[in-house]
Parts: sequence; C-alpha cells; structure tokens
Amino acid sequence: MMAPSAAAADSSPPSSSETTENHLQPFFVLHEASSRKPERTSTGTVKTRKKIDFSPSKLKNVEKPDVEIAKEGGDEGYGNLRMDAFEVVWSKIESTIKDVLRDINANVFNEIHQWVRDSFSTIRSFGMLTFREATQAFPIVTDASSKQLFTGLVLTKNMEFVDDLLTFEELGRHLKSQGCHVANLSSLDFMAKSGIGGCLRSLLRQFLVAPLDAADISILASWYREQGNYNNPVVVIVDDIERCCGSVLSDFILMFSEWVLKIPVILIMGVTTTLDAPRNILLSNVLQCLCPCMFTLGTPSERMDAIIEAVLVRQCSGFSISHKVAVFMRNYFVRQDGTITSFIRALKIACSQHFSMEPLSIILKGFFLEEDRQGLQDGLLLQAMFKHAFDLPSYGRNKMGEENVESFAHCLSELKRSQTRWRTVVLCLYEAGKGHRIQLLDLLCEALNPALYSSRTSGTCTKVDKGHGVSPSNNFPVQQHPIMRKGRLICQAVQKVRDLPIAQLYKLLKRWEELTVDINEIHAKLKELLYVIKLENGRSSRQDMADSSKRPVSRSQLNIEKESRAVNEKAASLIECMVRDHMQPVECSPLHEIVCFKNVETLQLALIGDPRRRIQIDLLESYKILRCSCCSRSGHSLLPSLHDTSILYNLAQEHGDHINLHDWYQSFKSKVCSSRSKGKHKSKQSPLPKKRKDMNEPDKPCEASIQARFCKAVTELQITGLIRMPTKRRPDFVQRVAFGL
Amino acid sequence: MELNDGEEEEFGFSRNYFLAKDLAASGKKSTHKLSDINLVDEQELRAAASNIEPKHEKEIVSLIDSYKSLYSRWVFMLRCGFGLLMYGFGSKKALLEDFASTALTEYSVVVINGYLQSINIKQVVITLAEVLWNQCKSKRKTPSRNLPRAQQPFNSRSMDDLFAFLDGSELKENDYFVCVVIHNIDGPGLRDSETQQHLGRIASCSHIRMIASIDHVNAPLLWDKKMVHTQFNWHWYHVPTFAPYKVEGMFFPLILAHGSSAQTAKTAAIVLQSLTPNAQSVFKILAEYQLSHPDEEGMPIDTLYATSRERFLVSSQVTLNSHLTEFKDHELVKTRRHSDGQDCFYIPLASEALEKLLSEINQ
Repeated sequence: MMAPSAAAADSSPPSSSETTENHLQPFFVLHEASSRKPERTSTGTVKTRKKIDFSPSKLKNVEKPDVEIAKEGGDEGYGNLRMDAFEVVWSKIESTIKDVLRDINANVFNEIHQWVRDSFSTIRSFGMLTFREATQAFPIVTDASSKQLFTGLVLTKNMEFVDDLLTFEELGRHLKSQGCHVANLSSLDFMAKSGIGGCLRSLLRQFLVAPLDAADISILASWYREQGNYNNPVVVIVDDIERCCGSVLSDFILMFSEWVLKIPVILIMGVTTTLDAPRNILLSNVLQCLCPCMFTLGTPSERMDAIIEAVLVRQCSGFSISHKVAVFMRNYFVRQDGTITSFIRALKIACSQHFSMEPLSIILKGFFLEEDRQGLQDGLLLQAMFKHAFDLPSYGRNKMGEENVESFAHCLSELKRSQTRWRTVVLCLYEAGKGHRIQLLDLLCEALNPALYSSRTSGTCTKVDKGHGVSPSNNFPVQQHPIMRKGRLICQAVQKVRDLPIAQLYKLLKRWEELTVDINEIHAKLKELLYVIKLENGRSSRQDMADSSKRPVSRSQLNIEKESRAVNEKAASLIECMVRDHMQPVECSPLHEIVCFKNVETLQLALIGDPRRRIQIDLLESYKILRCSCCSRSGHSLLPSLHDTSILYNLAQEHGDHINLHDWYQSFKSKVCSSRSKGKHKSKQSPLPKKRKDMNEPDKPCEASIQARFCKAVTELQITGLIRMPTKRRPDFVQRVAFGL
Repeated sequence: MELNDGEEEEFGFSRNYFLAKDLAASGKKSTHKLSDINLVDEQELRAAASNIEPKHEKEIVSLIDSYKSLYSRWVFMLRCGFGLLMYGFGSKKALLEDFASTALTEYSVVVINGYLQSINIKQVVITLAEVLWNQCKSKRKTPSRNLPRAQQPFNSRSMDDLFAFLDGSELKENDYFVCVVIHNIDGPGLRDSETQQHLGRIASCSHIRMIASIDHVNAPLLWDKKMVHTQFNWHWYHVPTFAPYKVEGMFFPLILAHGSSAQTAKTAAIVLQSLTPNAQSVFKILAEYQLSHPDEEGMPIDTLYATSRERFLVSSQVTLNSHLTEFKDHELVKTRRHSDGQDCFYIPLASEALEKLLSEINQ
C-alpha cells in the first residue's frame, strides 16, 4: 500500500527534500522553543510580532490604528498586558465558580464524610488483626458480615456526567483534607480490555505514588499496614458506574470484599440515572457484598442559578456580557448542551475573546478589581487608550462632551455606579421570584435587554442617575412600561410581591434591605417602608409572624387584609420604581464596551463549529469565500472557472443518494469544457457530451487532465467525507452522505 | 420563534433525504458503467494529476494571507488555555505550519501528520516529554536546584507517568507549554477511539496546547462531551483555504485508475524485487505460463513444481510452498479450483500488466 503513495509523493512537485520527508513522517519536531537569551529573543520576537501585528492594520484599515501605536510605543507586551488582565479576571471568575459549587456541595460532602467515618468504625469493630494475620499476603475472612463493602451511591441527577467530574474531584479533595486516603477512578479504569489489573494499577499509582509494574492487591495491603495509615479509611471514588464495564467492576468489588478487613475500603460511586443502576450492571452475588447508602447532589438548575448569581449578576470580576450574548448562552445551555461545564466554557471563550479583541479591556483588571494600575502608568499607552475610548460608539452616541482624562474617569465611575445599581435591582427581583420557578438566567436575559430599557427612556438614557429623585407616583403609569408588560419575568416577579403574605413580604423586604445597602436612596425608601409596616401593622404583622395559625379573631380580619394589601402595593411600586430608574442594562452606559462582551457571532463560531454545514457551504458557494472576479458573476449557473471540487459537489446535488460515476464524470466534463471550447472552437461545440467525446478524440491530453481533475475532486470530496467510495456490490456508484445543509 | 427555525431545519434535513431517495427511486437508475468512459492510461492519468493547473491561485494565496492577521489572536487563545480546531474546505497543512513557525517561535512545536496510516501515539508522547524537558532545561535560570531527581529515560516510562510529567506540577510556570500541531486529527491513523482518548489526555495536560485540523464533516462524532469540554477545550475556527489536498490525498486511490492494474503491477514489481532470485524465477514461470495459456484458469501446482524443479529453482515441494505462501501474502498470486478439481495458481493481473511486470523485473 505504501508503494504507490511513495511514488505519488515523488511525482508531486517537491518543495524541498526536507519538507517532503516531513510529510511522510508520522510526527516530527518542527522547532524547539527559541531560548530566551536576551539578544536572540529580542530580535526574534520583535520580528515576528511586527509581522503579525502590522499585517492586520494593512489589510483592514478599519482595525483601530491606535492600538498599533500603543503596541509600538508601550512596553514590549501590550498583548501581554491583556493576557495578564485576562488571567486576573478569569482566575477570579474561576475561583468564584469553584467556591459556589463547593458551597452547594458542602452539605452533601459533610454528610458523606460522616458516613465514611461511621462505616470505618463499623469495619474496625469487626476486630483488630494480630500481627501475624496482618502481615500475611492473603486476605482473612471471619464471617459473612465482615465481607460487606460499604458503598455510597451518589445520585447526580444529571444525565451528563461531565458536570460531575469536578464534583467528584472536589469530593476526593474534601475527604483527603479530612484525613482519608482517597483514590479517584474513572470509568476508563474499568475497561474490559485492561481488566481488573487496570484499576488496581491505577489505585496503586494514586496511593503509592511511585510507579509499580506489578498489580497486586497484597502490595496495597502492605502499604496500608506500613505507612501508619492504620487509623484512616481508604476511600475509592468511581465517578460513573454506568459507564464502567460490569464484569470488571464486579471482580473489583468481590476482590475488595475479601480484603476489607485488611484494607478498609469504602466505595463511593456516582449514579446518573436511578438507583436501579447497580442492579443492572452487577450480578446478584456481587450486590450481596455491598452495603449501600444513598446521597443526592443538587440539581443542575440550582447550581446554574448560583453560578449566574455569583459571576454574572454580582460580577465578581467586572466582566459582563451583553443581552444578545446572554440570550445565546441561555439557548446554548437549554437546547444544545445542558451542562454547566459547557456553559462555563462558553463564558471563558467570551471572556478571552473580549480581552483579545477589545484593547481597552485591560482596564478591567485594575479598575474593577481595585488592584494596582501599573499597566496604565505608561503615558503613550494611556493616550492611545483615551483616543480609542473616545472613538467607542457608546461614547460618541452619548455625546459626553469634552474628550479628556477627567471625563473618561467620570464615565468609568458612572459605569461602575450604574452597574452596581443594576445588580442590586436584579438581585432584588430574583429574591422576589425565588420559589416561583423564575430562573435567574432567564431573568438575567430580560434585565440585560437594552431595547426594553431604552424604548422607555430613549432620550434620558444618557443622564443616567439624574432622574431618580422624582417620586414614582409622579411618573406615568407603571403598566405602560414595555419591561412591565405581562408575561415578562420581571412583571411576574413584581406580581409575586403583590401577592405575598405579609410575613413573607417582611422577610423579603428585610432581604432587600441587605441587598440595597450600597444605594442610599433605595435603602432609605426601604427603611421607610419597613418602618411603615412596623408602625401601621405593627401588632398584626408581629402576631402574624409569631404564629400565623392562631390568628386573633377578635380583630377585624378585613382590616388587616386591607392594610397589608396596601403595604404589598407599596412594595410592588417600590420595586417597579427600582426597575425603571436603576436597572439600566450595561449596554446603555457610555464606555460599556470596556467591560461588556457583545460579539455574539464570534462566540457562536468559536463554540459551535458546524463542519457538516460549513464545509458544504464552502463548496457550494466557493466564489463567495475566494472572492474572485471570474466566478461570482452568474447567479446560479455553474461556471467552469469554479474550483473543481466545488463544481463536482454542485453537480452531485442533482443526483439521488447514489451517484452514477459515469454520468457524474460526463456532466463534470461538459461543465469544465464549456469554456475551453467556447474559446477555441465555438462552432463545433455540441451540447451532448457523448458526441463531443467522439469529436474530441484526438484531444487526448485534455481528456487525461480532465480525468485527473475529476479524480482529484472525488478524492477531495472523499476526504471531507461527503461521499462514500464505490463498493464491490455497486462498483459504478458513489454514495452521497449529506443531504441538505 | 427560534425553536421553529430549529424544527424547520430538522424538517428540511429529512425532506432533503427523502427527496434524494425519491430521485433515486423514480428516475430510472442510470446503468452507465464506469468503463464506458474512455479512460486514459493510468500512468498518463497520474502524470496529469500531478500537473493539474491550479485555479484561483491568486485568490487562494490572498485568502490564506488574510488569516495571517488572526495569528496573534490564535496565540492569545492558545495562551488562554484553549485548543484551536481549524476546519473548512481545503488543505490547512501549510497554514498551520506557517502559523506555528512564525507565531509560535517561543514555544516548541511538534507536528503530527494524522493523514498517515499509522501513528504510534506512545512515541509521540515520549517525544513531547523530551521536548518539554529540553524546554525546561534551557529556560531555567538555576538549572540544578528545582529539577526533579535524575529520572529514568522517557522511553521506558509508562503512559501514565508520561502524562503525569506533561501535566506536571513539577514545572511551576504557567505560560510554559509545548504546542502540538495535528494535521487531520480525524485522519485514518488517529481515528480509533483509543487513540482519540490518548489525544484527549495529551490535550488536557497543562503543559500542552493543541492546534488541530479536521476535514471530515462528521469529525466531531469522534469526541464525547468529556473530551470536548474538559480535555480538548476546542476553540473552533472556520478557515477554508481551498488549497489542494496534495499530501492528504496521497493515500487515496484515483477513482478512474481502471481496475488499478498498473498500480498493482507496480506494487508487484516492488515486492518481487525484494524476494530472492529463485522466488522471482518461480514467479516468472507462472507468469509465462499464464501468458501462453490465456484461456486456462491457471497453472496446476504439479506442473509448476515440475518446471521449477527442472530449472533447479526448488529442491522440494516445501520450498515451493514457502515461495507460494510469500506470493499469496502479497496478493501476487491467487488460487482457484480447476475444472478437473485440481487447485491451480494464477496471477491476478491483465496480460498487458503482466507483460510490463515481466519486462520490469527482467531488467
């Protein structure tokens, strides 16, 4: 098989013998890292950097020329500045997410740890081993009950186990920190191919650290005896038992149940479906060895809400996303993937794209995290940045007046202020909607929508916070706000406030009070409202809270209802007012480009590659990508100047699921020849390919080259996987694979 | 609204499929044979194939050049910890290597040619470990202190150890990695799931960044969610180049190379040349017999043995059988049952091809 290919390689025009050699190497080292000796690197990197950085500005003049100045003038790494900023921001986000997830899991983890300890003492209670027993290289079994293997089944409530990988890792870390010996095994360690040896080896690797060739459980036993490990349990975590090979897992369990007195193993296994799972993959005699206990993790939506709250609403890092991006990410989560892992990944892509595309993003690092602002000390860099900032569309749109440092700084602090307000209102709404199936992600999408906000304020948008001194009752009726229209989540949340019983309303208002502590006006109003409740409904509300079951009948029930209704109404109008005046989506603020990622198209392209569709479009509309002058002229008819493979694939569209090679070739030939003959002998041209074949008989070299081109095009289609080669049964047909885009 | 779009799309899919099926069923199936085409000689075809006049050369060059402006972003994404996955029609081999050799000079780069038939992934991992090791050694200012104790050479370590090294916590610095460029991560040599698992583990190592290209429309089916989200961590880039798949297509047979006779004749010649002169001569006897008796099913083994013995080529039936086994293994010779029930041998080549082959080995 190698021989013809080698021949083909020889015949292809050799660029240089070395590279041809490389083409046929399975792998090779292209180059080693250039050593960072001062003189060599500086020339080397500068050269490449120039090459890279300046080509874009030449190609597309629209691409912010100031950035180039910044690059040239600033210290050698303007890119590095952004990289640093990204790292700071993302590590903040990442650690926040980790903390959130850890908090969510904390209860379950503690529960599991307690159970592990209890199980361990049960095992211990079977009796201590004598020295002789302990040093023997075989298991001891006293009675049947001592063969039980304590097994924790962790229900993940998640069809996709990706999200749980991290959870189990964390669980391992948690138990380790509590002194247990922990090994994490994945389903890959339980493959039929490597058998029981595979998982043993993996266990030994994790416990003994030093690599060992022999996979023998007695080694593990002696490790446990020797290392002074005697007072702690050995925990083995298997992340997803449903993906394990049943027979290997069975062997594993049987083996450890024999050894359990010597190695007090406690199993923890992840179950994604139902509790039946172990019964489905394990034999009954194996099941008898297990002493199960069940734990349940939080649902994905709980985790999702917590992450959204910490990262996107509370904005731990200052980074935020636009409405469109939020909607895209929600749809991606809900329809496409449904895993939190992928959502976080999408967020990371958004974040890194923001830093790679927005020159001013470096401000995020210093400004919002309130850390050192060293990067901005460079005068030239600073100037270039201001220049860029004043060119931002949001700045121009809002006509901020003078273009100087002060106005820039003012804008930024305004931005920060309005963000704080927005966050507070969203959290208040979320609190109101909690327990009413209002998901924070949906709420976020609505709260970020600039259309809903600006359609009301169209002109006032710029004067961000000037108008909130006006009391809400003076404004036009609340119901007319687009944002308050029925069916919207915000409206629903407000309605919930209206319907709340007084006790819960009090709690909610208390919660709001905590949330709004940074915003004086609202805070003051809330205080007022709480005071009113206390004053007017003082007794009744207190009684309500004390025991709602024993309501005093003596007081007029109706009166209380009326009064509480009035309080509800006040609270509702307060939140409405907050929504209207303070919930300004980030996209309505000047300079929001600095903190807000808006480019939903690039995010989508980066996240969801769609090769099946894209490659076909490449082929069907190649002229659009190549932007040549020759092929784009005609609308739908195929021109012979098109890329060969493109012609062939276009022709393939006319066939059924099987393409007759002969016909395909003939139509290809006629397409390709149509111009050739047009130029040379137009009169001779015949529309029927068959006839022309006879006529063109002397024109042999042409025939050969057409056939070669046909072959090449077919090969290229084969590489893309769009057609399948002829089979023995149907030697004259290729099979189409893709139908429609 | 958007949901409807999705449904519409799905509906379009199935509709297109059934339309295509319909088209095949209703329209009388074309009965033309491939052999109806006046196929040119294979050698001529190959010569022509290597001299195809490229179309849109200028546009392709400028298209590929336009990607150069993205290099800095690609590097940024790599440094952020993503793997780059390039797709789109056209060979991306030159593009990726150009990217690697201009924009990634600070990092070591290892290239894997996934379009080749067989790739030893363990060797790759060993090389990666060695490269990373060199990189640390050359970059470390105080070489002796922090280096882990003298270790056994990489090529005698297990995969797990190698992965542990590549993922190593031993090397503290963050921005410190080896780039792996994989042409055709969906190629024949890498397509099986075990290799993909290994690649996933390579990609997830903290000191490795991956830049890969795919060409097959169904390539994403190679990966499950764990691999996609936690290991490869792909950042997709649509970079059609329309450059010819020269190297990648090298191993695909030309569809119009008729019966592939010339091809096998060539292979046969190469195989024969590696055999002993005696074996070659036995083959020649068989070939000559077949040429002189074109209508027979083949040469009976008795006749072959007798003739070979006469010419002192074999001393026993055993030697002859060993030659024949060799031939059969390389598909130079096949057996079939003669009409009188005897097994006989023949060479599965057309007469012309056989003649050419004979003249070639006689040289």
